[in-house]
Amino acid sequence: MRLVRFFVLIAVLLIGGATGATVLITVEEALELAFPGAAIKRETLFLDENQRAEVHELSGVQTTSALATRFVATNDGGWVIGYAYLDTHLVRTLPETVMVALEADGAVRTVEVVTFREPLEYMPREGWYGQYVGRELDDDLALKRGIRPVTGATLTARATTEAVRRVLAVHKVAGGGETQ
Amino acid sequence: MTGRKFLRIGLILIIMSVTTSLVSAATPNDDRADELERQIEELRTAMAELREAGLAEERLAEIERRLEILAVEVENLKVGEAAVKATREGEHSGLGPAASKVYRKDHGVSVGGYGEALLERFDDTRDDGEESGAVDRFDFLRAVVYFGYKFSDSWIFNSEIEFEHASTSSGGSASVEFAYLDYLYRNQFNLRAGLVLVPMGWLNELHEPTVYLGAVRPRTENRIIPTTWRENGIGAYGAIGGFDYRTYVVNGLDASDFSAKGLRGGRQKGAKAKAEDFAWVGRLDYTGMPGLTAGLAGYFGDSGQDLEDADGDSIAVGTSILDLHVEYRYRGLELRGLYSRAELGDVARLNEALGYTGDQSVGETLVGGYVQVGYDVLAGRGKSALTPYLRWERLNTQKEVPEGWSANPANDEQLLTLGLAYQPIEQLIFKAEYQNIENQADTGVDQFNLSMGYIF
Repeated sequence: MRLVRFFVLIAVLLIGGATGATVLITVEEALELAFPGAAIKRETLFLDENQRAEVHELSGVQTTSALATRFVATNDGGWVIGYAYLDTHLVRTLPETVMVALEADGAVRTVEVVTFREPLEYMPREGWYGQYVGRELDDDLALKRGIRPVTGATLTARATTEAVRRVLAVHKVAGGGETQ
Repeated sequence: MTGRKFLRIGLILIIMSVTTSLVSAATPNDDRADELERQIEELRTAMAELREAGLAEERLAEIERRLEILAVEVENLKVGEAAVKATREGEHSGLGPAASKVYRKDHGVSVGGYGEALLERFDDTRDDGEESGAVDRFDFLRAVVYFGYKFSDSWIFNSEIEFEHASTSSGGSASVEFAYLDYLYRNQFNLRAGLVLVPMGWLNELHEPTVYLGAVRPRTENRIIPTTWRENGIGAYGAIGGFDYRTYVVNGLDASDFSAKGLRGGRQKGAKAKAEDFAWVGRLDYTGMPGLTAGLAGYFGDSGQDLEDADGDSIAVGTSILDLHVEYRYRGLELRGLYSRAELGDVARLNEALGYTGDQSVGETLVGGYVQVGYDVLAGRGKSALTPYLRWERLNTQKEVPEGWSANPANDEQLLTLGLAYQPIEQLIFKAEYQNIENQADTGVDQFNLSMGYIF
């Protein structure tokens, strides 16, 4: 009987699960989530040594790539409504990539995980990433300050927080670009 | 130098870059991405010089176009192909989907590990003033290696191989702590089969030394929820709304090794496990608010495994275990609580079958729980943590025993643990703690513990 109940539960969840989102999303889907319906333009930013040093200084994070991918989202009128950056970094022994979307004024709009190669047990739940929304590059953007850690996924929480700090610093150093 | 010479240099660099990127396609890794980045930077410098030298604008535009292709490919290498699609038509200047496909290899194997060493120094006297006779112990408690393999985005294997107490020639053991296949379907629903961790309590699934405060695990999560508790089984897990759930069917515990001290002996650990009785275990946690985890877990099944009484009738030993758990974290503060209660059936017949007499009875009801508070005084100041903590725990593995048997008051215990945990970086931890251990028989022996732990 117990087994029967178990399989009934599986069937119910399968039907329920069929309408849900996939485990991880693509870059394209992350952009659509962050900026629904917006036109997206891809840019490559090349940071020189001085800019990288400045990013390090501002973010407090050691590693910064010389190459940054930025997406600029514009509305129908051609006005910039935000930016999105991809940041790839190590979690434990394997890398993850997050997309950090920013408002036009530079505050964090969303953070989405697009690649996660560690076991999914180390990935915080969706709601946890909501902590970054509206954040700017300040002292409160740190674990055990404005960002609450996740038991069992501390390294991911740390890596994600560093990634958001790094992106905000890159955005500051590289400049927001044109508004229209 | 002339513009033409620069052009030649530029083209050579482009060819080198493209060649490198194609080689990278076979074995994408971070070094190659770095190398590509370096070459792109060189290209840009060369191009700036070319522009100054007055090279034809259309040729420069062509080089710039190729440069952008390389930049996109570097990003693809870093992000991984599963996640990257052409963003929008006309805006993805990279290679076409077919050409990009060669990069769609992913990291297959993942390796990790953790371990901990523990020094326990026991008081020479018990609470009643008698000699304790306890021998101090310094144990390399466990060294664990983790191996995972990603067959595809849907099929994943995870395992932990544990070496306990350092050497099999001195009472240690080598065990598969878990080994299961996951089928990832949706956030809401995934399947798991193999040797799984029973999803109860705090430490059974999250038992890496950096994840919990305390050099020694809480006793409730040793005797009532027997960490590290793993059994063979199959089930499902996922997250719906703000809730996480797990539901497994596993082989049941084996009551023939239950004792007055609890259920720990009943774990079958996936080793030729008796499969006459199965159990269902489920867990539901609310994780919708960052910093808060609150939930419950239940285990229900028989543990008799065809054990028979003197008349040849089988003894079912219905076993129910329930736990309620909550954790709250805010800035440096970490609060954790757990309550667990187990109820067993057919205990009188089980005692008789196992030859237990007097106060050796297995508990009909076992109860335990703890509350714990810690505060990281270095919170938010970099990667170090210094966390004083306090844990108060009560447990009784013979809260109720059948008529005709008695409970040993020594199993009605209260533990107060005061400690300090230091993490120079998040992956290392050193803990020092004092435990005041009391019991109703007044035979408690206090202890001082030192431990070190690591994860990678």
